[in-house]
Amino acid sequence: MQFQIEGQSKLINAELIYNKGDGDLLFEIDGKKYNLKILKSKSDEFEFILENTFHYVKILSSTETKYKLLIDGVVIEIKKQSKITEIIEKSLKAKGTVSRANNVTSQIPGRVVKVSVSTGDTIKEGDPIVVLESMKMQIAIKSNKDGIVKEIKVKEGSTVSRNEVVAIID
Amino acid sequence: MSKISSILIANRGEIALRVIRACKDLGIKSISVYSDEDVRSIHVKRADESYRLGPAQASESYLRIDKIIEVAKSSGADAIHPGYGFLSENELFSEECKKNGIIFIGPTAKAMELAGDKMKCKEIMKKAEVPTVPGSDGVVEDIELAVDIAKDAGYPVMLKSAFGGGGRGIRLVSNEKELRQEFELASNESKAAFGKSALFIEKYLTNIRHIEYQLLRDSSGNGRHLFERECSIQRRHQKLIEMSPSPVVNKEIREKVGEIAVRASTALDYLNAGTAEFLSDSKGNFYFIEINARLQVEHPVTELVTGKDLVKLQIQVAQGEEIPFKQEDLELKGSAIECRINSEDPFYNFTPSVGYIPNCNIPLGPGVRVDTYLYPGCNVSGYYDSLIAKLITYGSDFNEARVRMKNALSEFTIEGINTTIPIHQTIIEESNFINGNISTDYIDKYNIIEKMKQKRNEDYKDKAYAAISAILLQSEFVKKSNSTTQRLNRIQKSMSGGYY
Repeated sequence: MQFQIEGQSKLINAELIYNKGDGDLLFEIDGKKYNLKILKSKSDEFEFILENTFHYVKILSSTETKYKLLIDGVVIEIKKQSKITEIIEKSLKAKGTVSRANNVTSQIPGRVVKVSVSTGDTIKEGDPIVVLESMKMQIAIKSNKDGIVKEIKVKEGSTVSRNEVVAIID
Repeated sequence: MSKISSILIANRGEIALRVIRACKDLGIKSISVYSDEDVRSIHVKRADESYRLGPAQASESYLRIDKIIEVAKSSGADAIHPGYGFLSENELFSEECKKNGIIFIGPTAKAMELAGDKMKCKEIMKKAEVPTVPGSDGVVEDIELAVDIAKDAGYPVMLKSAFGGGGRGIRLVSNEKELRQEFELASNESKAAFGKSALFIEKYLTNIRHIEYQLLRDSSGNGRHLFERECSIQRRHQKLIEMSPSPVVNKEIREKVGEIAVRASTALDYLNAGTAEFLSDSKGNFYFIEINARLQVEHPVTELVTGKDLVKLQIQVAQGEEIPFKQEDLELKGSAIECRINSEDPFYNFTPSVGYIPNCNIPLGPGVRVDTYLYPGCNVSGYYDSLIAKLITYGSDFNEARVRMKNALSEFTIEGINTTIPIHQTIIEESNFINGNISTDYIDKYNIIEKMKQKRNEDYKDKAYAAISAILLQSEFVKKSNSTTQRLNRIQKSMSGGYY
């Protein structure tokens, strides 16, 4: 199988080549053999010793194509490459543009301090739609596309939670 | 004055916990208050008694003077500790406490007011011969007066508009000719926009360092300084890293500026703990800028190098006791560094990051102190300040403290949110920081954000094989715990876009 680390172009080949079932495994990564000893394994959490070095890994989220994991305190995203995943990725992307692009969502929870647009306004990608206050900071939620403001879902003073839709752009 | 037997802590988070600990050390009953957002916060669990203030918004809870006084009276609190932020520098609050016979652990309303009024404070400091940043004492309208002031201050000087802010309306001039030109332009601009000229003149300082002195003054008029803290590592005027001693302060400077700091607190007839902030330039001049009339976030740095418990001292002074040591009894021993861990994403312009913390690992070991409200299963709320932990390390010298910090940072994991740990990890190993070559523009000057990104890519390379092994392990784990048919079903499901 091939893997790609976030922000790096290089693909890494890796396979499990041996699992006796007693906690000792053998991997081949980029043509070299690596011994791994499992100390703890749950469905999304692993503790193991890889070539004499301890690692703690928590899988934060995963799809068939993409993994986000916390490893020794570092968050890292890894893509898994194969023919099947390419097809899945394409189909996911196609669906995403239809369903998601019209909704402007907030990536952070906060309180609305200002609504910068009105229904019917023509706006450009990057234009601020609302200004949120969170942790004493003000952050603008910007439009992800050019279009017309169809609906504003929040008003000044209201609170929004993470991933909540704040406006619909047509 | 009678002894304090119970204290209401009008704050939350790590500082509330810090004050609760001091109360426990002194055998004093601790009373905490909380907003609805904070019901499960640690200060509620650790205090002897806890009372609800109101809804999540600070304006409805931690800033409600009336509610806090009401709780203090009904719970029988003798004193209130305001912590930092919220009502800590609100003279009205200090006054209300006094009116209701409750001891306010902090300065008097009068001293607070003077410390908060920059113009009045500067005037008082001039009388007390405390050096302030050279320049005009107020608005300058006459060009000839401006020329005289600039000459006294020494070029280059800054022309600042009273109505500017955030860098707007600031002009840098390096000689009299430029001043005459720019002064006219700036006054016309100001007149056109606001109907009057409102220009200040201030000496332009280069390579500015922010160095502050911890102060303590009791009601008998005894004033002490507990040496300096260097707080030059800042991002947009927010301190990131503080340390004591400062790499540019030797014993002679320490005593000289310390004496000035004490004089500043005497001039304000200050009471309790406070901090005198100075700017220092590349020539080693120190200019007083203001007094912070509260306990500072970075007070642990001073505690570690002096061996004094500042919160306990605050309580003792508040109940009328004299400071139990003389200036000459104090000794600055070793070196301490504090990193402020904020719930912000340093890779994404420091946007707030909030939410549930499923797990966290707090560093331990020799010379490591952590002041935090985090615990596995806690919540970081977006309603309040982003400071979630202070990591402080101590060593016999700067390098020992620094290396301990580097190691402690790598032990510190906080799951669920982004934090400023990566920028600290970058700075702590950066050569200018190591050599004490720092100033308030350090982050921009040495491209720290870029260096942090490079470091992350290196971390990725280091962790790549282990991370990939974990992914292979998981698929192996899944294979073992499921039959072949179930697995096929799952693959089909995932191909139709579902998660598993």
